[in-house]
Amino acid sequence: MLLFPLLLALTVWQIRVETDLNAFFTATDDEDSRLLSGLLKSGELSRRYLIVVEQALPTNADHAASVSDSPVSLVAFSTKLVSQLAKLDDVEQVWPADQPPRDWIDAVASYAPYHARLFSLNPQADASELFDSAKLEVRADGLKQALLSPQGGFVKAIAKQDPLLLSLNGFKDLQSQFQQQSKQSQGGALILQSRPAALDSEAQTRLQAAIHASFASQNAEAGNAYRLSMAGVPVFSVAAQSEISQDVTLVSVVSSVLVVLVFLFLFHSFSALHWVMMVQGASFVVGTLATTLVFAHVHSLTLALGASLIGICTDYPIHVMVHCAKHRNSPLSAVRLLWPSLALGGLTTVIGYGALGFTGFPGFEQIAVFALASIAASLGLTRWVLPALLTKSELHAAHLPGIGAWVDFCGRHRQVLLSLFAVGVILAGFSLPQIRWMDYMQKLAMDMDTLKQQDATVRSHFSSIEPGRFVLIQAGDWETALQRSEAAERRLKELKQAGIVSEYHGLFPWLVSNALQAENASVYGQALTPAFQDAWRAGLVKAGLSVDKLGTLLPAVSEPLSAAKVLDSPVRHILSGQLMAGDKSVILSLWLGEHDPVKLSEGLAGLEGTRYFSQKDQLDHLAGKYRDRSLVMLGIGIGVMGLFIWLQQRDLRKVLLTLLPSAASLLFIFATWAVMGEEVSFLHVIGLLLSVSLCVDYGIFFIDNRGKDSDVTYHALAASTLTTLASFGALGLGKTPTLPILALSVSLGVTLGFLLCPLLIQKPSNQ
Amino acid sequence: MSRKFCLYLCLALLPMLGLADDISLPQLLARIRQTGQSQFRYEETRVLELASSPWHGQGFMLSDADGRLVKLQLQPARVIMAIADQSMYYWDPQQNQRHSAALGSAGAAAQQITVFRSLLQGRTEDLQPTYNFAAEKQGKQWLLRMTPKAEFSSDETPTIEISGDEDDQQRRIMIRQADGESTEYRLLKSAETQDSMQRLLQEAKGE
Repeated sequence: MLLFPLLLALTVWQIRVETDLNAFFTATDDEDSRLLSGLLKSGELSRRYLIVVEQALPTNADHAASVSDSPVSLVAFSTKLVSQLAKLDDVEQVWPADQPPRDWIDAVASYAPYHARLFSLNPQADASELFDSAKLEVRADGLKQALLSPQGGFVKAIAKQDPLLLSLNGFKDLQSQFQQQSKQSQGGALILQSRPAALDSEAQTRLQAAIHASFASQNAEAGNAYRLSMAGVPVFSVAAQSEISQDVTLVSVVSSVLVVLVFLFLFHSFSALHWVMMVQGASFVVGTLATTLVFAHVHSLTLALGASLIGICTDYPIHVMVHCAKHRNSPLSAVRLLWPSLALGGLTTVIGYGALGFTGFPGFEQIAVFALASIAASLGLTRWVLPALLTKSELHAAHLPGIGAWVDFCGRHRQVLLSLFAVGVILAGFSLPQIRWMDYMQKLAMDMDTLKQQDATVRSHFSSIEPGRFVLIQAGDWETALQRSEAAERRLKELKQAGIVSEYHGLFPWLVSNALQAENASVYGQALTPAFQDAWRAGLVKAGLSVDKLGTLLPAVSEPLSAAKVLDSPVRHILSGQLMAGDKSVILSLWLGEHDPVKLSEGLAGLEGTRYFSQKDQLDHLAGKYRDRSLVMLGIGIGVMGLFIWLQQRDLRKVLLTLLPSAASLLFIFATWAVMGEEVSFLHVIGLLLSVSLCVDYGIFFIDNRGKDSDVTYHALAASTLTTLASFGALGLGKTPTLPILALSVSLGVTLGFLLCPLLIQKPSNQ
Repeated sequence: MSRKFCLYLCLALLPMLGLADDISLPQLLARIRQTGQSQFRYEETRVLELASSPWHGQGFMLSDADGRLVKLQLQPARVIMAIADQSMYYWDPQQNQRHSAALGSAGAAAQQITVFRSLLQGRTEDLQPTYNFAAEKQGKQWLLRMTPKAEFSSDETPTIEISGDEDDQQRRIMIRQADGESTEYRLLKSAETQDSMQRLLQEAKGE
């Protein structure tokens, strides 16, 4: 009793609750999974909000008038909103979608000294156009006009080092991207890059509230003439978090209420309920503390799901209490009598949860540790603490109608029922090949159709760079990676011309390989003949520009612009979303606009270290991997449970009989899904793994029959089946598809396993 | 301290307050403020660091009470630069160069034309956070000299002089950049019919 508050205090002191959904859902045990996890966690694109401000839809004539007479234009409104949003703590950067941010422009100017080394991705092919002496007069006049234009200050800084403005040639595509956007967005499209990771839903919720508050306050001043919509990964993240929170609350409350009602119905004792709840509470605290110590943090979903999953911990006190009530035993003698079965039952459940932790789904690793510690605590408390607590409690075990009748029925018609069972097994075996596996992770995602529609509407205002699909370049060092990236960009340029990809964001000329820099410098050196220089100077004179200041075209700088130097400058910030850290390799990504995945993949064929990466495909691949692993772990779990039962019983027949109800229920459930056409995911398999670990307990208790009264034993099993159904059945109320799947799998498995016990295991003799 | 001493002190400091003649700063600011629609013929002379000789241009400037400004350059080539809806627009049909940017985010590119609009329309309150003002009057000529405040003296903020006569028919604006470049505008009120401001704005925006 004294330990409980101490444990609670220690847990509160140690606990660090994690709310990042990514930590729960994405595995990081191979290179691609790590990449996917990294992208979801901190990827530049996934941290971006796409914001659209547009005129509010008029609802009546008066409103229409107020909109058209709005005192603030859309552009002015958006400009002010940008400056307001930039002040928010969680905002890294915000800019109008049709203009590059200021630091991008400053970064472009910093490339001027290296103009001769990075003016073209295809220097040989572009040389005739760029170094055509006949066009130098026009270029000089163009320079003059640029100096006179509003960009004069920017152009002057570059022209002093790069009179031909060659360094700007490589950035032409960047300029055209923004011009394209300008036509599309009509001034109200903004891009906001958040500091927190996309899936840090707590921080993103705070940021979204701040964005809406800034907008609302400014919109009130503008007569509520505008409306705001947002899209992006963080918007989905917050919505998902909200849905999950609602699910967690609903499931926890309903599950707790149902377990309490079942308990009161079975034992009619508030005092016993109080003590059993205390055992449950202490088990929960121990589970939380153990998870915190093992993982350094505990995920909020682990706490929520774990709370339901350890509902089975009530099974152990229930067995003790049913025997107490039916046999009028003292709690201590009942627990001593049942302890071998309780310990073995607990062990097989622990094995089931342990196997769950090895399925590869990161969230279940935490749940496994949580459940292991909780079950161990519950068993220990049931054995050594509960008897003392129950001494003064009056227990009245309810008689569950039909339980004894079902046991008798199975005994009387065993031959017929076993024949039917055998036929069922054969039919089930034949139907198994028809089973349909779920190949798309998306089907396990929450239904967010409204949000998806809003996302599509908002994205229609932006040039369409897709956040989840890109070209991935991998190499052992920077030079090779950049050469591969440049080869891929050349190919993408051709694919763009062929209409296979609408646009792409490469790394050239922000990062240029030494090889391409040398090629550019060579082409530049060859073009820089005395005749060319004379023609340039003549052009300057004709344009009225200073020959002294612009007439000398210097040779290329001797040292290339190294990747290390670029990444040491603010350009790193611009490219951070396209550079990913691999273990021993350099990983680069080239972002893609709308594209045809098949033709694009084909178009990239033959490029070494270059492949098309789809986040969705990777997730689907993960779903398949989780499923295969969970099937393996299901097999291993059953094997290890059998081993431990054999270690206790030393009788192979008893081992097989103990496992038979759960194995048979497994077969029938798979067969039913196969016949019904249900798509089976790794979650279905995991649910069945859990049901097996629970059903095996039933076999153990039924065979052991420690109380020498099979009716009492089966009543105790019925009571624990009811509490399991109450706690797992409540998961079925969740909107997150994972919860109903778990609810269905476990409930079906447990019910079928319970019903099959007296049929498959001959009724033990009462002595 | 006697009242007479205070009077002498005020008289002694009067030139430092920028009143060389009988015009006060508020009077001058009120004089240069344009409240309605106006149109000027202009001549522009720019001294660029990278040009061998001063550049000359001419055309028309149109402004209205809403703060919109269109600078229509006709010589040596047609170019439109405009401010409307808190955005700056630039259109050079000969070079096929079109730019637009929100004033708040366009940096130095927008700074000059924003300052110029404030000068032309006499919205000196926009400039008061950045500049110290000094007013002078000699005969019929008045001069408003604007020098960047200490905290802005080292950046790209130009020094500006705006001058005119009592008839207020012509005006001269001189903008000197910190790097030595300068732009001089000579403006003459004009009643010549030009394209409407709206049409020029549409052309600049590419609509």
